[in-house]
Amino acid sequence: MSDTLFTNVRILDGSGAHPYSGSVLVQGNRIRQVGRSTAPISPAGATVIDGAGATLMPGMCEAHTHFSWNDAATLGAIQAMPLEEHVLWCAKVAGRYLQAGFTSCLGAACAKPRLDVVTRNAVNSGQIPGPRYLAASQEITVLGGLGDETLPHLPFPEFSFGVNVSGAEDMRKAVRLFLKYGVDSIKLNLSGDNFTPQSPAETTWMTDAEVAAAAEEVKMRGKRIIVHARSAASVKQALRHGIRLIYHASFTDTETLDMLEAVRDEVFVAPGIAILYAMLNEAEAFGITRDMAIGMGYQIEWDAALESLSKMHKRGIRILPGGDYGFAFTPHCQNARDLEFFVKYLGFTPMEAIRSATLYGGQIMMRPNELGAVREGYLADLLLVDGDPLANLSILREPKRLLAVMKDGQFAKAPDIASQRAWGRAA
Amino acid sequence: MSDVLFTNVRIFDGGGEAPFTGDVLVQGNRISRVVKTAYGQRSTPVLGAMTIDGAGAFLMPGMVEAHTHFSWNDQPSLDAIQRMPPEEHILWCAEVAKRYLDMGWTSCVGAAAAKPRLDVVIRNAINDGTIVGPRYLAAGQEITVPGGLGDTTQPHLPQPEFAFGAVVSGPHEMRRCVRMQAKYGVDTVKINLSGESITGMPSDMSQFTEEEIRVCVQEAKAWGKRVASHARSTWSIKECVRQGIEVIYHASFCDEEALDMLEAHKFEHFVAPGLAWLINTCFNASQYGLTREVTQKMGYHRELEAAIESMKALRKRGVRILPGGDYGFAWTPHGTNARDLEYFVKHVGMSTMEALLSATAWGGPMMKMGKQLGYIREGCLADILLVDGDPLADITILQDKSRILAVMKDGEFHRAPPVGQARPVRTGAPATVNRWAA
Repeated sequence: MSDTLFTNVRILDGSGAHPYSGSVLVQGNRIRQVGRSTAPISPAGATVIDGAGATLMPGMCEAHTHFSWNDAATLGAIQAMPLEEHVLWCAKVAGRYLQAGFTSCLGAACAKPRLDVVTRNAVNSGQIPGPRYLAASQEITVLGGLGDETLPHLPFPEFSFGVNVSGAEDMRKAVRLFLKYGVDSIKLNLSGDNFTPQSPAETTWMTDAEVAAAAEEVKMRGKRIIVHARSAASVKQALRHGIRLIYHASFTDTETLDMLEAVRDEVFVAPGIAILYAMLNEAEAFGITRDMAIGMGYQIEWDAALESLSKMHKRGIRILPGGDYGFAFTPHCQNARDLEFFVKYLGFTPMEAIRSATLYGGQIMMRPNELGAVREGYLADLLLVDGDPLANLSILREPKRLLAVMKDGQFAKAPDIASQRAWGRAA
Repeated sequence: MSDVLFTNVRIFDGGGEAPFTGDVLVQGNRISRVVKTAYGQRSTPVLGAMTIDGAGAFLMPGMVEAHTHFSWNDQPSLDAIQRMPPEEHILWCAEVAKRYLDMGWTSCVGAAAAKPRLDVVIRNAINDGTIVGPRYLAAGQEITVPGGLGDTTQPHLPQPEFAFGAVVSGPHEMRRCVRMQAKYGVDTVKINLSGESITGMPSDMSQFTEEEIRVCVQEAKAWGKRVASHARSTWSIKECVRQGIEVIYHASFCDEEALDMLEAHKFEHFVAPGLAWLINTCFNASQYGLTREVTQKMGYHRELEAAIESMKALRKRGVRILPGGDYGFAWTPHGTNARDLEYFVKHVGMSTMEALLSATAWGGPMMKMGKQLGYIREGCLADILLVDGDPLADITILQDKSRILAVMKDGEFHRAPPVGQARPVRTGAPATVNRWAA
């Protein structure tokens, strides 16, 4: 592995500081030196990449990733993919996230028990390319809740998208099984979702005894609980049980916001608002008209979510991008769109949006002092971007504008090199 | 995908003639022009085609592996292969598929998978571009009898998931099994007709009744599938001819009658002996406990001698003998398959030309693609290798990845040839400066 020196780049370091011109030296898998001037760093055997003024920023982190969602329109259609195909799908999607500039992803549930774990292990062993990954369990839910896709005449657990438990002992057993498989996170569905009309977003149905059993097991093994919590009651339930990673949090009251603010240095919220937006505005091609989406409750939730999340942002609660990409109406690798939504609807500055995908990303990946910023000593997860993301966040969604993606000191996407363009003339 | 013009290459066209200097033009996924030129002569570039100056390198058809097990995971026993969970197993297969292509095998014929759908899924994933790999014909699990080769269940663990093969008993179960494999979408039904000494059932013993075999062949043909057989014993080889089983793997113990039968039907069968397994089990597996004493006792040395005699005789009689077989064990790791060509030359008496043809000219029909594959001829599919050196002078260079300069499958480079300016920098050399320019 050769060292790399980026010269003549505009460094957007992820911390919220204003960008500056300079050079960055990567040695091994770490950022060795960050030079704050146009005076070049001595290359000392490194491959020199002249950035010609392009932006160098930390690799992005997706806080709520479902590699195994297969761009289908229903949970049932995701579940119907056979195991072998599903593994290959996940492997392919992992590679695509990395190419799209996400050097870290936090698994938020997988569709079959071991998909996330196997994908993570294959990435870590170098068998497949992919981002840094924290592997999740299947969604653990209750009978009839979000994720229970069994039918009355087909009650087999293999038909279920999530794992259905009933009672604290069932929960403990399910959690132990996933911990045995080697997950990093246990996912609980504490609230419903308008996507599944039998258990809409504002319903909250897991008992405290069930949640407590899961929390106890997970704590014992040093892992993390992550929750699907759209309703105010479910957010509060999560906080009461010491859960610090909350997905969605659409509906909040003052008590909920106060509780969140009280632990704002510990808690992360990843709202995944793209799916709300898409259901209302972009799902018609898949049979869900705007009227149908409104009927399902999506307009009410969208309005509530914008209000809740804007308030959270004002109170200094960390809100991160990512969430529920992998459906037909929210296809994989458009995830950077969340940053645009944050600016447009939640009152973020573009700088805050970038920070939510970088500095906060390192924190949510549990590597706060070495990931998510362009700083000396940090892990070399870097993007070279043609243009200024602060002026136009949408360029982060354009493959052509991502000139290079580096993960752990190695190029996942190498910059176009002048000599290679002469390839066709080699003769 | 751009068109490619190879100039200044030595062309081995797969027809058995001596190689000649010339140009090969690939347009789309086919070879559209092959011309002879003088040595060193450069043709005019073709509009829209990338020109590759081969500098005299050897250009030959991509090779065909006739007996491939992507799902064998370089372990020392069937049980150890079977133990891999399905998620890891499919990723393993995907990785191995790429390895074959890396090594110049642009087509592979699946000869059994360790779990029911592994081969089918890999073939489909290659075809739809999810993963990279050679052209592939997918097999099912090996069909065997209780206690036969591939039945790895144990008395206290009788669950079928523990079995390496699909275990059937009786024509009724056979029919059901073949139908299930056809439902999954296999190209080939694999049946084990003889034993295998390492499993405790000697290679010269046979299994299955004639009726079971008949049902297997009949049902497979009804679905348009091919039957391939593990057939080491004399009876099993003859049974393949009698019942019309097209692909005969191993064929170690041929007697005079078996040779006559095969000769009489030589264009209806392919023989892939898989000598690598016998040779390396006999001589290169002692670190896995298979010392020469042990393998002698198992009977492998005797079988190796018999197999070599059989192959020599079949070669003389013009039966099609193809390379490949049983790579994927610890002592026959995937990717070393071109050793088979060396074994053909060294032990079977083939010329290097015959060995090359066995991997190319016989490959098209083995892949059920007739003469579209295996030749560098106008109109043929562009599966092409560019080799540094002359395999006709030294067949072993095909075992060396660094000598295989380029691998093209279906008109696209899987491995593009190295380009002058982009050669790797030697250590100690001054820093390379690659400038990205807007």
